[in-house]
Amino acid sequence: MTLAIRLRDVSKSFRLRHRSPFLARELLRAVMQRPTRVEVFWALRHVSFEIRAGEAVGVIGHNGAGKSTLLSLVARTARPTEGELEVNGRVAAMLELGAGFHPDLTGYENIFLNGMLLGLSRREVAARLESIAAYADLGEFLDTPIHTYSTGMRARLGFAVVAHVDPDIIILDEVLGVGDAAFQDKCRATLTRFRAAGTTMFLVSHQPSNVRALCERVLWLDQGRLVADGPTEDVLARYREASQQLATRTAAARPAAGQSGTTPGS
Amino acid sequence: MQTFTDAYRFRHVLLALTSKQLKAQYRSMSLGFFWALLNPLVMITVLSVVFIWFFGQGAEHPARVVVALIPYNFFTYCLTGCATSITNNSSLVKKVWFPRQILPLSIIVTNIVHLGIQSVLVVAVLVAFPTPGHILGLQLLWLVPLLALLLGLCVGIGLLSAALTVVFRDTQYIIQSTLTVLFWMSPVLYDSGGRFAGPGRPGWVEPLYYLNPLAGLLDSFRRVLFWGASPTPLALGLATLGTLAFGALGIRVFFRHEPDFADYVK
Repeated sequence: MTLAIRLRDVSKSFRLRHRSPFLARELLRAVMQRPTRVEVFWALRHVSFEIRAGEAVGVIGHNGAGKSTLLSLVARTARPTEGELEVNGRVAAMLELGAGFHPDLTGYENIFLNGMLLGLSRREVAARLESIAAYADLGEFLDTPIHTYSTGMRARLGFAVVAHVDPDIIILDEVLGVGDAAFQDKCRATLTRFRAAGTTMFLVSHQPSNVRALCERVLWLDQGRLVADGPTEDVLARYREASQQLATRTAAARPAAGQSGTTPGS
Repeated sequence: MQTFTDAYRFRHVLLALTSKQLKAQYRSMSLGFFWALLNPLVMITVLSVVFIWFFGQGAEHPARVVVALIPYNFFTYCLTGCATSITNNSSLVKKVWFPRQILPLSIIVTNIVHLGIQSVLVVAVLVAFPTPGHILGLQLLWLVPLLALLLGLCVGIGLLSAALTVVFRDTQYIIQSTLTVLFWMSPVLYDSGGRFAGPGRPGWVEPLYYLNPLAGLLDSFRRVLFWGASPTPLALGLATLGTLAFGALGIRVFFRHEPDFADYVK
């Protein structure tokens, strides 16, 4: 089997800064040889795994565990600070529903823009236009600018485009929970079809039912580290157990305090 | 090398973004492309009236100004547009992978269209007002390398400013004040040719003045279109060197930081 995704000892850090620096001040500091000290936050630490072509892998973990960071590395919107990352094949990433849409353009224009951003040529989008429009099922709204759309409508259009890209690897970040029940079923059916066609899938979802339905393997991230990697049911069971333990411990330790887990980078 | 093939593969995105910008600028305006002409037209009129009536310039002054003002406008629109091209599309940059150079390049292509429209104004003024030289001649061929140099300068400085704005938040203010200085340090409203000889004007002032590549370019445009002569070797030579230097610097800085843009934008 060929490898679709391989990470070898990958780490990703972010500079913890509330605002971006001033050019004038940084130049002055450089001249005076007093470099600015920056706090560094490690969103991922020493993560290694391989995904074979055709595998469907889910990523679970608490908020701030590094799930979205991991997906953005594979989708190439960010690069690893350390380690090696290899991705083979055409990637269609949906890190956010409606990412790559422009609010002032109409639905049709956005289908073109988004399709081309996902790597299709103009002609390929044109050939699939009718099918995409039918899938999104938005009727006359496709002729109006996207800023008039509801979140659900935007989601439908975004997923309709992704469903027509024929990627080798599809990356989805928490996008399955949007839209009405009928549309969610449609999404799941499309993803099942992708799986049958041998597309590699890599997705983050907070709903265990989605992970269970689509993935045969699950990665569990905790505070940037890969704590478990195995068959879906095993990892989900361990994750559930750990979450319950954590919940009991938190409740026992701080009965009055609210949950306040603000970790950047999620 | 891959950066260029990437950009070519995404040329349709580039064109889509360009037409988006053109549409956004002109869609809501009933007079359409007339607006592209209005601003420089007003400026030329006001400047001509002021300079002819109050500063005692001859009737050829509108022609002297227009041949430098239009290229200068192209430069400032490119610079200010490119500077915010990445930060204005933060959601796209964060969530979708695509060659980032597409964003500043689409600003430049948009402004090439504006330049094309405004060149009509240049021709009109050159026909309507007297010029000291005979313009129709072989020296017009100089326009090809001059336009290429102007374009190269804009690409270099555009890429540089786009990358700097992503990292440093005061870049825009620095650009604003630099442009104010640059307007007077470049021969837009006045003719720099022949002003460097004479008592009290040391020989090193002229090469220093033309270290600003824009000064050499605008002077060359005026030599060709107003005086009907070839550019002076000093002005053109230093403009070429400056353009190459800025081009190399811009490309280097941009592509060195391009993979990390998503970490910086908000």
